[in-house]
Amino acid sequence: MSEERETRIFMISPNSMMTPDQLVREIHAMGKGVTAKETCYGTLVEGSRELVREVLAAVREKHPYDIYSKVRAYPTGDPRRCRAQHGTRPGYSQLEAEWEALPLIQHGIICSERGEAFETPKEKDKLPPEEFKKICEAFQ
Amino acid sequence: MKIFIDPPNSLILFDLVERFGHEPLGAMAPIQERIDMTEMDMPPMNVTLDDVIKGLKYAGIEVPSGIRGRLALWGPLIEEADAAIIMLDPPFNFGCVGCERSNEMVRYMIRRRGIPSLTVTYPEDEEEAKSVVGQIKEFLEGLK
Repeated sequence: MSEERETRIFMISPNSMMTPDQLVREIHAMGKGVTAKETCYGTLVEGSRELVREVLAAVREKHPYDIYSKVRAYPTGDPRRCRAQHGTRPGYSQLEAEWEALPLIQHGIICSERGEAFETPKEKDKLPPEEFKKICEAFQ
Repeated sequence: MKIFIDPPNSLILFDLVERFGHEPLGAMAPIQERIDMTEMDMPPMNVTLDDVIKGLKYAGIEVPSGIRGRLALWGPLIEEADAAIIMLDPPFNFGCVGCERSNEMVRYMIRRRGIPSLTVTYPEDEEEAKSVVGQIKEFLEGLK
């Protein structure tokens, strides 16, 4: 992966009171020299990897449960992806589905930080042949 | 440690792995490499001839080209990974992660490599989310 450029998606959880505009202003106010582009779900941040990681750490520290982030392969405003230039958005359905699930993940993170006990689902056992035979015979 | 995530472009898994102090290996890195280095038109929709040959290492010639193309991107990541987290039944299991045969092949490759792996199911409610995040945290902390 290129050491020069890192582009990151910063996605705001749907149950957060933050707006993409506030987030972009906060990132600009850090004065790190990264590019921040406001989007409908949050912001895209682009710059050298080191600076982007610094921004990420600062944002996570301030908003641990509101902002979620991942790397994006395409640069900000790339004509192949940018909506303004009618770029295709093949990963957008997934982003939308994950955006809807972020409040659940937020709940999970808060519970794990509190050290709450959680249930581990039982591993599926192999079906014994006798039981399988019974199932087959039931439909004969 | 390097953790391979499946689905490889999952925001949730990428974020959680980073939060708990590890390096996630997702689909974005090899795609970025192809954008920055080889200046391809539209990765991952387009691949190079080398990618097709690389894919042959992971899937036979009779396997559909879409699977081979995907494995050309994800296969080297699985080889590089120290551990893996697999999230089953994501509701967005279509589009670029929608090939179930590729996903099965990825799970098989992880098992065959014998690296530590955690399989969780996509959470539907708060209790399940608590369990999923708890399991991921426990798994990742256990790797250190």
